[in-house]
Amino acid sequence: MIFLTVGTQFPFDRFVQAVDNIFDQGLIDEEIFAQIGETSYKPHNFESVASLEKRDFDERVKKASSVISHAGVGTITVALKNNKPLLVMPRMKRYKEHVNDHQVATAKKFQELGHILAAYDVKDLPDGIRKLKNFIPRKRKASPVAITERIRCFLNSLQD
Amino acid sequence: MKSATNEDTNQISMVLSKNNMKICLAASAGGHLTELLKLADSWQQYEVFYVSTANMVAKKLKQYGQTYVVGECNREHLLRVILVLVRCIRVILHERPNVVISTGAAVGCIMCFLGKLLGAKVVWVDSIANVRWVSLSGRMVRHIADLFLVQWPEIAEQYSNVEYVGAVI
Repeated sequence: MIFLTVGTQFPFDRFVQAVDNIFDQGLIDEEIFAQIGETSYKPHNFESVASLEKRDFDERVKKASSVISHAGVGTITVALKNNKPLLVMPRMKRYKEHVNDHQVATAKKFQELGHILAAYDVKDLPDGIRKLKNFIPRKRKASPVAITERIRCFLNSLQD
Repeated sequence: MKSATNEDTNQISMVLSKNNMKICLAASAGGHLTELLKLADSWQQYEVFYVSTANMVAKKLKQYGQTYVVGECNREHLLRVILVLVRCIRVILHERPNVVISTGAAVGCIMCFLGKLLGAKVVWVDSIANVRWVSLSGRMVRHIADLFLVQWPEIAEQYSNVEYVGAVI
């Protein structure tokens, strides 16, 4: 099962509709479960819900064979943690999908590092979905320990 | 004997005041909150409360501490910003934190400024989503932050008073 998610903040109909269309063309041979936000567009090829609680969201990622989503850090984090192949399509300001285009930069960075696949436009999605099957994400070595130590040190300094 | 007891009491009260610090943890639901929760080891010994934007994360957060959901807002919708601002003011006046820690976005920014007005220290960790520049919220908070961290080394080089020590993921 492929897990499709658009994150918590806004809907992302351009993306959901595109995946639905790709399904129509017979290019996806797996079931999809989708989390699509509060939106007027309802996909007809797969089951969808508006939102998921964090625990259910994490569970969906764990159970999925792969994930397709907006280029949000929440999804990227959970997918990497579970070593799932992830294809992202960044939200664009010009379509009023986000307040700016930072998701394009995020997608590029994580793609360059080999952690995810990215499609920057609807027309790149079929190719991305095709590649997703055999994509092995590069593991990320970063850990929050350095940051937690820095904050802890700062908090301690406030009490001296 | 008596003076020794007094000393003990003094020591106990010192220990108490050390752990008395109250920390506000503020982040929008989604990636910002995911990143914030990864830093939980930082504040284990302190009293904390959470401020976030959506009910769907409240259940999880309530396991960790007092949680306030103030609603989603961004700079495109001014009325929403005012509504959320009013809710945030209520929270901050009620809780009076000594420190505000945030990973963004708009709500984190608001809590940092309100906290600062009441004398709190401000810790900002800019989201890893910002790979080229500090986020818009971060650029505002940078001027009042007591500790400002970014998660890409090349960003730290572009700003003064900005540190890179690592990344959450």
